[in-house]
Amino acid sequence: MIQVFSTWLHHTTLSWAVAGGVPWIWPLCETLHFMGLALLVGIVGVLDLRMLGVAKALPLGPLQRLMPWAILGFTINLVTGFLFFAGDPTQYLHNVAFAWKLIFIGLAGVNVILFYVTGLYRRVDNVAAGHDVPPAAKLVAAVSLVLWIGVMYWGRMLPFIGNAF
Amino acid sequence: MSFLLTLENSAFGAWVRESSSLWAYPTILFLHTIGLGFLVGLNAAIDLRILGVARKLPLAPMEEFYTIMWTAFWINALSGTALLIADATTKFTNPVFYIKMSFVTLAVINMVLLRRFVFRRPPIDGDRIAGFGRALAITSLIFWGGAITAGRLMAYFGPVSGAPGLSNRIPTR
Repeated sequence: MIQVFSTWLHHTTLSWAVAGGVPWIWPLCETLHFMGLALLVGIVGVLDLRMLGVAKALPLGPLQRLMPWAILGFTINLVTGFLFFAGDPTQYLHNVAFAWKLIFIGLAGVNVILFYVTGLYRRVDNVAAGHDVPPAAKLVAAVSLVLWIGVMYWGRMLPFIGNAF
Repeated sequence: MSFLLTLENSAFGAWVRESSSLWAYPTILFLHTIGLGFLVGLNAAIDLRILGVARKLPLAPMEEFYTIMWTAFWINALSGTALLIADATTKFTNPVFYIKMSFVTLAVINMVLLRRFVFRRPPIDGDRIAGFGRALAITSLIFWGGAITAGRLMAYFGPVSGAPGLSNRIPTR
């Protein structure tokens, strides 16, 4: 099914435009992908580090108000990432690094969902300046840091372990 | 130019560029990406707070992030130097490289000024930061954005560089 979708996608005008038909689209998307990366990793990193005890004088409630900007970064990268895939599906479909990148993003998603549905989010939201978050939240923060750094690793390895340019 | 060639063909330069080991070019490039994420990302978080996002967040404790930002800066200075040695003849002759370095210099000076002017007199919680501090937050985002853009465009303008066989050009069909 993915193969059918990719073949169809590859024959769209969008795919043609991204993959060199309109020459500046690919470099522009790459630039935006890196800006999105910085926004996502920076904001999520600030939250994770605080939960792990860095800059403990920051109250968690107000700190979590930065999250919409991390979501903006993620959305930018989801859109530009999809455009790369549309531009040349084959170089990602048969790419181990790409598979691992998607798995790590998926795991990071599960990690965030667990943070919300287990009610940890609300408990963390009430953690005032100078106080520790519950141990479970520290685990979520550590896992989040590892997974996002992993996502960057697999993304960077796309041309080296896999065959993408 | 002969100096650049010597640099590029040094044992280290050749290893970075041509070794098939993942620990050479790929890992150095990965480190450069982590550094970017944490340096620019943490700085952006501070900038956003100054510009009024999460206003109830006290700014002063965020100064602790400077330790991580400086660590990330040095990771990128070192990994960047390694990548530069590996492709000395192409990168040193690429005008976009000098644009990138200018933006990075401006962004780092901006980062130091931000610490000196905003963190030395941290505002009371929830206070609006005005004037110079606000201007510095805006220029910080512009300079880092410029550095990222120029860095990415180095792969598209000027001489081809990078690991052998690595094509980073706009794909053609």
